Amino acid sequence: MTIVDLNKKYDGKKVVNSVSFEIPKGKVLSLIGPNGAGKSTVMGMISRLIAKDSGVIHFEDKDLAKWKSKELAKKLAILTQHNNIQMKLTVRELVAFGRFPYSGNRLTKEDNEMIDKAIAYMELQEYEDCFIDELSGGQRQRAYIAMVIAQDTEYVLLDEPTNNLDIYHASNMMRTVRRLCDELGKTVILVLHEINYAAFYSDYVCALVNGKIAKFGTVEEVINKETLAEIYKVDFEIIYVDGKPLSVFY
Amino acid sequence: MNKKIIILLTLVIGVCAAYLFIHSHPENPKLFRYILSLRIPTLVVMMIAAFSISSASLIFQSIINNRIVTPCLLGMNAMYTLVHTAVIFVVGSGSILATNANLSFTVDLIVMSVVATFVYSFMFEKTGNNVLYVLLIGTVLASFFGSIQSTMIRVMDPNEYDALLTTLVADFNNINVEVIYFSLILLVALTIFLWKDLKLLDVITLGKAQAINLGVDYDRTVRRLLLGVVLCIAVATAMVGPISFLGLIIANLARQLLKTHKHNHLILGSALMGMLAIIAGQFVSQHIFSYAVPISTFITIGGGVYFLYLLLFTKGGI
Repeated sequence: MTIVDLNKKYDGKKVVNSVSFEIPKGKVLSLIGPNGAGKSTVMGMISRLIAKDSGVIHFEDKDLAKWKSKELAKKLAILTQHNNIQMKLTVRELVAFGRFPYSGNRLTKEDNEMIDKAIAYMELQEYEDCFIDELSGGQRQRAYIAMVIAQDTEYVLLDEPTNNLDIYHASNMMRTVRRLCDELGKTVILVLHEINYAAFYSDYVCALVNGKIAKFGTVEEVINKETLAEIYKVDFEIIYVDGKPLSVFY
Repeated sequence: MNKKIIILLTLVIGVCAAYLFIHSHPENPKLFRYILSLRIPTLVVMMIAAFSISSASLIFQSIINNRIVTPCLLGMNAMYTLVHTAVIFVVGSGSILATNANLSFTVDLIVMSVVATFVYSFMFEKTGNNVLYVLLIGTVLASFFGSIQSTMIRVMDPNEYDALLTTLVADFNNINVEVIYFSLILLVALTIFLWKDLKLLDVITLGKAQAINLGVDYDRTVRRLLLGVVLCIAVATAMVGPISFLGLIIANLARQLLKTHKHNHLILGSALMGMLAIIAGQFVSQHIFSYAVPISTFITIGGGVYFLYLLLFTKGGI
């Protein structure tokens, strides 16, 4: 997937200003940056949830805008931060929605197998028949990820998946992201607030400031004293844990 | 699930039979036939109204993703009354557009679908589907439409007003049977036209982002469904007048009873429950209270209490 010269204005203010980058296949890419940098907007445009003002997104040698929405749903899954469902849905019913692009409302045997697998992968078997509004935040997030897995897409886009989760659930979530990439071979694109999760769990990092790309590169290229100080306007110390740079700030 | 639907269906058939045949004097064939000729159209109208109001409310709630809204709270039936008044106001009660019930209804429907689609899609887009804003603006709109309508009535010729009144204030004891065939055809056509969109309703309730993620053309589907809701409300209002709380009660009762997210079951279930409520209510009002207490009184009292219950005792109402 290649993004070329993406632009978006809200009320005359440019929130995304000629952003171009390439998404490496089969890797985890994190979008980081201060508040209002345009991370979620870029993600929204990649996932077709937000209409872009100009620019082109090439997806598998075809303009993303020319893809049929239903076909795209088999290639690209997005999970946003706001998921409030008023319906009484069980975990299994929610995960089953992941099969909607393939079979509509009627599930085939193959669909049910995929749903079982997705539920097992997220270790949700014991909650399968619980209603999602009765689950804790961490479990609910896992149920949504299971739905994304059932959707069986090559690309997975997650908008602040660690938001509102405590450290335990957030780090579990990030390990799951890593597994999605390493075990299932998916390309994962994340929007993250927490720099160290981006540093520790992703392959590439794209830092945005004021709607522009400040730095795009491997973790080592982006997560260092100078670059981070420039992006966040705060002094950073970098320490290495397991050979990965982690930032310390206060 | 199917069991509950079958029980509902049996109950509906039961009340229909009770409504038609109790006190129908079968020993006197002439009287019997006369009574049936009065009751059958009323029964059909009640069924049409029940179907329209309950499925419209249910679909509307699913689009807004909130269980305490109904199209009526947003002024849709006020809009119908306004459109109807405005048409007579402009063309005059002597015009064929006013004297021919079917023609007049068609004009109302066309004007209403255009205005409502415009007003409501604009409103949803502007407020980003925020329920509180939608409700607030809807309430203001409802009284706004009401005020315009009453202004028109005041400046109208009294004779015109008299003619208008007979078609304007339909209620259960004064139902509008003239548009019965037209409404039936319209509802069948609408169901066929919206069949594909109705199947997407399950996904629509997951919210805009999820629906798009799953490959649904969200804006188009919602626009089409909204048009269906508007037309259903217009049909119900034209036939039996505004029944604001009924849709709310029925849609919620159906959700509570059927405990499912599948809309094909929900729509069928709520339509049956709506029929049950209206026909049984009419039966009670007619045979037990001898028309002293109109059915709308039951609906308003019951609806009010149930609405308070929903607001106060169910979490996640708003």
